[in-house]
Amino acid sequence: MVVGGVIGIISGESAQRAALGAGALLMDQFSKDDRRPYFEKIARLRSLKPDIMLMAGGTDGGAVAQVLEMAGLVNTADVKPRFGREYQLPFIYAGNVEIRDQVKKVLGEEHYATRMVENVRPVISKENLGPAREGIYDAYMEHVIVHSPGYDELIRWSEEPLLPTQAAVGKILYAYAEARAMNLIGVDVGGETTDVYSVFNGIFNRSLNADIGITYGVMNIVKETGLGNVMRWLPPEMDERDIRNTVGNMMIHEYVTLSPEQKTVQAAVAREAVRLGLEKHKAIASRLKGVLVGRTISDIFKQALEQTIINMFKAQLVVGKGWVFRDQPALESAMILVDSLEPMGVTEIMVDRSSIMPHLGNLLGVNHDAALQILVEESLSNLATCVAPMGKAGEGEEAVTVHMTMDGSEMVESVKVGDTRLVPLGVDEVAEATFTPHRRLDLGAGRGKQVKKQIHGGEVGLILDARGRPLNRFRKTPKAPT
Amino acid sequence: MQSIQLFEDTVVRKERRIPTEGEVLVKPGDTVEPDTVVAKGVVENPDIRELKIYASLGISPDMVKNHMLKTEGDDVNKDEVIAIYRSFFGRSTKVARSPIDGRIESFSSTTGRAIVRGHPIQMMVKAHLPGEVVDVIDGEGAVVETRAAVLQGAFGLGGEAVGELVFAVDSADLPLTSEEIKAEHRGRVVVGGSVVTVDALRAAAKNGVSAVIVGGVDQKDLTEFLGYELGVGVTGGEDFGFTLIITEGFGVNPMDDARFSLLERHEGRLACVDGTTQIRSRIQRPEVVVPL
Repeated sequence: MVVGGVIGIISGESAQRAALGAGALLMDQFSKDDRRPYFEKIARLRSLKPDIMLMAGGTDGGAVAQVLEMAGLVNTADVKPRFGREYQLPFIYAGNVEIRDQVKKVLGEEHYATRMVENVRPVISKENLGPAREGIYDAYMEHVIVHSPGYDELIRWSEEPLLPTQAAVGKILYAYAEARAMNLIGVDVGGETTDVYSVFNGIFNRSLNADIGITYGVMNIVKETGLGNVMRWLPPEMDERDIRNTVGNMMIHEYVTLSPEQKTVQAAVAREAVRLGLEKHKAIASRLKGVLVGRTISDIFKQALEQTIINMFKAQLVVGKGWVFRDQPALESAMILVDSLEPMGVTEIMVDRSSIMPHLGNLLGVNHDAALQILVEESLSNLATCVAPMGKAGEGEEAVTVHMTMDGSEMVESVKVGDTRLVPLGVDEVAEATFTPHRRLDLGAGRGKQVKKQIHGGEVGLILDARGRPLNRFRKTPKAPT
Repeated sequence: MQSIQLFEDTVVRKERRIPTEGEVLVKPGDTVEPDTVVAKGVVENPDIRELKIYASLGISPDMVKNHMLKTEGDDVNKDEVIAIYRSFFGRSTKVARSPIDGRIESFSSTTGRAIVRGHPIQMMVKAHLPGEVVDVIDGEGAVVETRAAVLQGAFGLGGEAVGELVFAVDSADLPLTSEEIKAEHRGRVVVGGSVVTVDALRAAAKNGVSAVIVGGVDQKDLTEFLGYELGVGVTGGEDFGFTLIITEGFGVNPMDDARFSLLERHEGRLACVDGTTQIRSRIQRPEVVVPL
């Protein structure tokens, strides 16, 4: 998809979030205020050949001239769809509702199959992405997927409309977060792309890092993050040349099984893929720009107001999806997510080893409860609960002590500042736990304040991670107490 | 691991087309050589510059039209004066020059701006293979057919090249070093063994080698030779002087016996190579075609 808006960080960003949330691969974003000259925008639009265009701009009753100027740009560009010149390109307008007729007139009837939906920013302080997402699904169904090979056969098998995979994954993750009334982050590490999904306070976001993946995109991870960032996750004895050659070969050959060395490198690049994905996601899952924010005295002492709504302290669950979590052992899978997402406080860690999440996302429309039940029983595997305090304390001091009670027996474990620890807690085991952080460390309730939680076991158990945030100790695989 | 293909004797059909409407210079049944031009045409130059002439002259935009020396459609050379403004009885002169060779595509008398576009680019496509034209694509090109031995590589860099197939090593497990690259390899397709060193890559560029086919290359050496990190596996547009085809993969990899012996059997023949690689859903591997 290609999206457009009047102000890049206001209507442009909202259009971007709507497109990504609907599962789109975003090719470019245009706005009245982007720095490219007019002719360059025209040339770029002509070269893109998207499946769908979405344009926002103006609040309801707001900007007129700038929105019409953007529509004029689209009209002049005469953007052609990917599937050839004989089809009209679906164009969704999700801007100022009061000038729909004028926008339609500027666009003309010749080039575009225009669809009007509610404004993504009806007022500056409110984002309304649902209708734009629905508009994208409808355009996808009517204009895009019908041209895909095999569509005619597939649609006969399904009573439900077909969804893009990423949209279906987003739907099931959102439904799960809603059912458990929790915040979550999901990462899907693919061969060519890395997707990050989040649900925070009921707000869903998705971001996509194209060309960042563990097969086709693996060499690009090294290019984007730098070899040093990959090597920090690898044993120091591994030679740079061997690492580079392994990465290159993972790109050019489609290995069915990986050698131990390839698995080690895969785990390292996966950490960087997720870390890069989260960085991008934080920028997309941001608070609404253009809204006047009242600042308090305490805000003045902060460098800047927090832009993103992603707060790892408030994420109660992280979910990993993709081949890497099937290739890697449970502990390594858990540590890929811990090292790259750096959860704080008490966080559940799960992985999807079944690859049926997209199907469950579509099943939601048929049987909501069944889809969630299959997700819990067949798709998600509990790996671990991670406990990571925030703050600074002296190296070697007790960072967190945990008292666990399970079936009448008690256990006390602790971890020192700078260290990690693994406490066994099996898949079906549930323990009542009291975590006591160091007086200068915080587990979410305040410095030195105890946190009491019922925690579920997993294939790995309980990970006590006292390396601090942001992470500066990298090769630290937690060990169980002897 | 996905198989990389090898054909001892097969019919190769190659589509040769220009990326625009143009003139096709061959017809079905014609015999072509690798350097026969199949089609040619002209494409618009993407190099386009917007000139704020009013700013260069230091006058208001609506005054610019009175000081233009060139108008829409005029050809201009790089640094040629296209507008001039003299003030203070000729004592102060300000000019606007064209930043590129090209043509004035448009001029706005209200905004005082002009757009200069580079000269149109001549496009042509050669047959690349010796063979027979079996089909013509109207206005764009043709399909050339030939019987050939074909060998795919795992990864390549650089585009199409042709040359006589020569061996620089005696065995598939020997490295190709700078010592094996000689002046007589100019314009030839050089076969190495297990790995090509960074010095050998430099020697190949220096000696005008047409292409290098080898089992492997150290990814670190390749990065050093290119001067940048490779990212996604889409190649073919590199321009370092020759085409590189890696048959096995990154690192030291003795060339597969079947591949090495096929090339050995055709030593001295013409090889038509293409390093273009696309590692994605529609995989395209680099190719060595030896017409029989």
